[in-house]
Amino acid sequence: MKHFDYLEPGTVDEACGLLKQYNGNARVFAGGSSLTILLKQGFLQPDALINIKKIDELRRIEESGDDLVIGALVTHHDIETSSLLAERLPVLCELEHDVANIRVRNMATVGGNIASGEPLTDLPCVFITLDATVRIANTSGGRTLPLEDVFLDYYETQLGEDEVLTHVVIPALPARSAIDYVRFSSSSVVDKPCIGVAVRMSVEPDGGACREVRIGLGCVAPTPMRARNAEAALEGQPLNDENLQKAARAAAEECDPMDDLRGSERYKREMVAALVRRLASRVYEQARDHGNS
Amino acid sequence: MAISERPLSAQDGQRLDYQAKLTGRAAYLADMKMAGVCEGAILRSPVAHAWIRYVDASEALKVPGVVAVYTKDDVVQGTGIEPYYGPVFKDQTIVAVDKVRHVGDPVAAVAAETREAAEEAANLIVVEYEDLPPVMDVRDSVKEDATLVHETVRIPEHGFADLAELKPIENTNVCTHFKLRKGDIEQGFAECAHVFEDTFILPTTQHVALEPHGCIAAFQPDGRVNLWSTTQNPFVVRTQLANIFKMPVSKIRIMVPYLGGGYGSKVYPKIEPLTMALAQKAKRPVRILLSREEVFYTVTKHAAFIRMKTGVRADGSFHAREAEVFLDTGAFAEIGPRVAKKSAYTAAGPYKFKHVKIDAKSVYTNKPPAGAFRGFGVSQSAWASESQTDIIAKALGRDPYELRMQNIYDEGDEFVTGEKLWSIGVKGCLEKVAQEMKWGEPMPAPDDPSKVRGRGLAALIKATITPSISCAAIKLNEDGSVNVFTSTVEMGQGSDTAMAAIVADTLGIPLEQVSVLGVDTDVVPYDLTTSSSRSTFHMGKALELASLDLCEQLRRFVSEEHGVPFEETRMEGGRVLFRENALTIREVLFNHFGMQGGTLVGRGEVKTSTVDPETGDKTTSSFWFVGAGGSEVEIDKDTGRLRVLKHATAVDVGRVITPLGCQQQLVGGAITGLGQALFEQMVWDNGILVNPNLVDYVLPALGDMPDEITPIAVEVPHKNGPFGAKGIGETSLIPVAPSIANAVDDAVGVRINDLPVTAEKIFLGMLDKS
Amino acid sequence: MKKAITMEVNGASCEVEVEPWRTLLDVVREELDLTGAKLGCDIQVCGACTLLVDGKPVSACSVLAVDADGRKVTTVEGLADGDRLHPLQESFMKFGALQCGYCTSGFLLTAKAMLDENPHPDDEQIKSYMGGSFCRCGCYQEIMQAIRGVAQG
Repeated sequence: MKHFDYLEPGTVDEACGLLKQYNGNARVFAGGSSLTILLKQGFLQPDALINIKKIDELRRIEESGDDLVIGALVTHHDIETSSLLAERLPVLCELEHDVANIRVRNMATVGGNIASGEPLTDLPCVFITLDATVRIANTSGGRTLPLEDVFLDYYETQLGEDEVLTHVVIPALPARSAIDYVRFSSSSVVDKPCIGVAVRMSVEPDGGACREVRIGLGCVAPTPMRARNAEAALEGQPLNDENLQKAARAAAEECDPMDDLRGSERYKREMVAALVRRLASRVYEQARDHGNS
Repeated sequence: MAISERPLSAQDGQRLDYQAKLTGRAAYLADMKMAGVCEGAILRSPVAHAWIRYVDASEALKVPGVVAVYTKDDVVQGTGIEPYYGPVFKDQTIVAVDKVRHVGDPVAAVAAETREAAEEAANLIVVEYEDLPPVMDVRDSVKEDATLVHETVRIPEHGFADLAELKPIENTNVCTHFKLRKGDIEQGFAECAHVFEDTFILPTTQHVALEPHGCIAAFQPDGRVNLWSTTQNPFVVRTQLANIFKMPVSKIRIMVPYLGGGYGSKVYPKIEPLTMALAQKAKRPVRILLSREEVFYTVTKHAAFIRMKTGVRADGSFHAREAEVFLDTGAFAEIGPRVAKKSAYTAAGPYKFKHVKIDAKSVYTNKPPAGAFRGFGVSQSAWASESQTDIIAKALGRDPYELRMQNIYDEGDEFVTGEKLWSIGVKGCLEKVAQEMKWGEPMPAPDDPSKVRGRGLAALIKATITPSISCAAIKLNEDGSVNVFTSTVEMGQGSDTAMAAIVADTLGIPLEQVSVLGVDTDVVPYDLTTSSSRSTFHMGKALELASLDLCEQLRRFVSEEHGVPFEETRMEGGRVLFRENALTIREVLFNHFGMQGGTLVGRGEVKTSTVDPETGDKTTSSFWFVGAGGSEVEIDKDTGRLRVLKHATAVDVGRVITPLGCQQQLVGGAITGLGQALFEQMVWDNGILVNPNLVDYVLPALGDMPDEITPIAVEVPHKNGPFGAKGIGETSLIPVAPSIANAVDDAVGVRINDLPVTAEKIFLGMLDKS
Repeated sequence: MKKAITMEVNGASCEVEVEPWRTLLDVVREELDLTGAKLGCDIQVCGACTLLVDGKPVSACSVLAVDADGRKVTTVEGLADGDRLHPLQESFMKFGALQCGYCTSGFLLTAKAMLDENPHPDDEQIKSYMGGSFCRCGCYQEIMQAIRGVAQG
């Protein structure tokens, strides 16, 4: 590993100041699980690591009004075992059982998961179907962005050189809605996902039309993406085989998967279709029968 | 369920290596400390095939802490070094000399005070390459206009006896071509009612022993050299080093700590020649520990392309088998020629074919060298043969179990080589597996309507390395305890415990009285190799003989001391009995030496040959290992995702020596087979290995396990094995992949001919069918 | 350049000076001579280098030693109480949950952390918690038995 300075600021402001001071040659160090690998392999050679772990305010999962706020330093295992999330958004706890392994879940953070821009990952796909936003701190006051807009390309995000992602904010779900996620692995259960599909919707009490449909796809484009054509195929419509089929096909067409070790483009599109179909019908039933009111 | 009803009396389930391994105190190579040791780093080729124009190490030498840099100049101009080596052909060099032949081929090495300095310096070595087109597939490599991987191949004066007839075919990439013939193949096909032709493919895979290869070399002031190495066959490595460095073997001492897994990846020289060369040049002890990525460039399992043609008579009897087996041996022959030969012997499976024509070629390509891998060529041929057996059954409307039972070998049947087969419990294995899998009974329907289930079987026969030799010695101490001197390497298979149990049982002493010394070529007698599932049979027998030698010496003392005829003495329960008397070993020794002291040495030796010394019959293998496996799978019709619900594996072990070790080897082998069947493959793109890491090279994990893997030991004793025991290390791996592919076909009617059996192949197979 | 860090390792306080780029695995093995944790894959996949930091399993190959400053570190050498093996060690021995032993310290420590968090996990919970450690000799079945043996004991 190339030699670097190691700094431990106590506040977010201090962290942003240090980042600015190093002129883009410093990296934020949180869980460190992806960063240490990049450092060991020489892909990153920063002059300094800014360890933000001493900033306790970034560690919390809490309610703020109707919103849920998840701090950047919250680890995957924190999410997995959070009683607040188990009550409000159990889908997050459940998906975490299958993320990487317990060691990574103990180290890796929500902030790092997003800021790394890693494409083969689960949480961001679910977050975007929840209309999550992120708070970003910098030396000029900070900003808030829809999470979906943070991602630019493979391993590339909107985050500037002096910026620290501090929180993910998830608004409350509308009434009579449900959400679910499928992490689909094409080989070993511990392999990275081949694709991820998240579906959220509400069901109208009269007539049962789908509303507020969100379909998130992971691992099938340079960034996690919303399948908006698929959403449109269901929005305001009753759920029947024909609509399901339309949505499934639309999702399969609008995603942009690559041939890689985890599957061919053709197979991934087929899996997107199969899982959107399966998941949308499951979520619809959940929303209709047991959705939050 | 107990794996054996009659374990040896000394066996209580305790393994000798557990206390150290469970407390973190077992020393593996990377745990050893040595004063003054330099760390080595290797510069490896970034390209698959190129001429080396020049190597300039001047910048590397300027890095602070660098002690020595080793390049091709040292190989060519080195004092008294024989540049070319290799277990079968001399096609390897310590670092690449004229050409690089695969990505990761070592080009230079650096010894430095720290690993960091060594790596930094290695990266500063400038190499100019002139690219050549790489050949990455055996089918391209055997074409007439293919670029040659080796322009010439040197053949050693004294090679392995069993491979003496095999030579590279000049001006081609064919490393060896082994031919096996029986009967008249054309006549055979003419006599058949049905003929089937299929092709089968297996990818390159890697052993991924969790412990990467490592070596420490330290020259002594008197010119001797000590090496500590992660090797499965220290004596073969010692011979190779003696040839390269032109030293007598007595001056090369190799010590082997516990290995963190081998599975074939640690046989034959790996980084020992380079570590020793670097230590010689640095005039300092040198340690090289490979990174995970480097392990993928060091040794692999042969990819294969197999054409198989089978003739079946109207009554379903297997009659004629023609097969062409192309094994991708990578850039160097390594042990590939023997892998191909072993693959050929079993390309007709455990079935009674009258007419056989097998051509097995090991073929050079620009991939990392392929070598031994648990299953040694038989995984490849059995994938083809056992898959095709089910293709035939389906086409003929026959039950795959019945069809196998109709054709399978029985005691005394004639093998493809013409010799008779003895101690061959393959029928029993298949029967037991079928019972365990509830073969013939309907499968319970899955709760989830999107899922379907299927079952499949496979059987196998495999040879062990023949001829070979194992020598052993036992030191009997004055208190009646013993030290066992064996070169069998404890790499997890439980050999220390099995060997100790054989000695304890033969001498009639408790297991606690037996200590197994680690492997040290200066001390322990010669053994060819810890591989080929040969140790229990060969070394175990040598130790049984050594124990009997001790018994005989003790009885002779008593006979002479007490004036009793030798025949009237016997040894039982650790005592020498004569008339109404019983003397403990301690008493016999005290009487003999006249004091509390002295040592008796027992010696044993097992030498196998290609001719049975008693009958004069041809003996291709000193014993045959046979077995069968069955799988039940469940497939998600919407995704093709497969889960193995149950696997049963039956192995004819001859006699169970250690029940726990036996269970672990049977189940563990099956789990390795599961990885080979479902996940593992090394993937190349333009000569570059895409996945030399454990994120992208996928191993079987706890969550992938079937609900149950059932090990079944069938015990058909072998006359030459200790207590009747045979080898067990590789058998259970081999039937896993074909049994799963057969189960997939049973479930969804999709036949997959190329490994691994992935969800995508199953899904697209279903899609294309509908 | 070096930073002094203090860790409580297997119950004993220890202070070492380390460069910020050194990994916890490297420091524990090389400076403290605790070699039970092994380097396997070097990218947090295999689990051979597992150590417990404040009771939680981490891949020590990818944790910076400076990041463990002020924390409690448990290695396999700290499991037994003198000559008395930890119940997990006893159970691994009884069920034969290891062959080559290279992965063993990681499995033992991970299982300990799991049982400390949840003393009676069911099979699904065991698989989720333990599922990211590799045993290449294929002792998964025996490992499950050994852990169940303690979890149900």
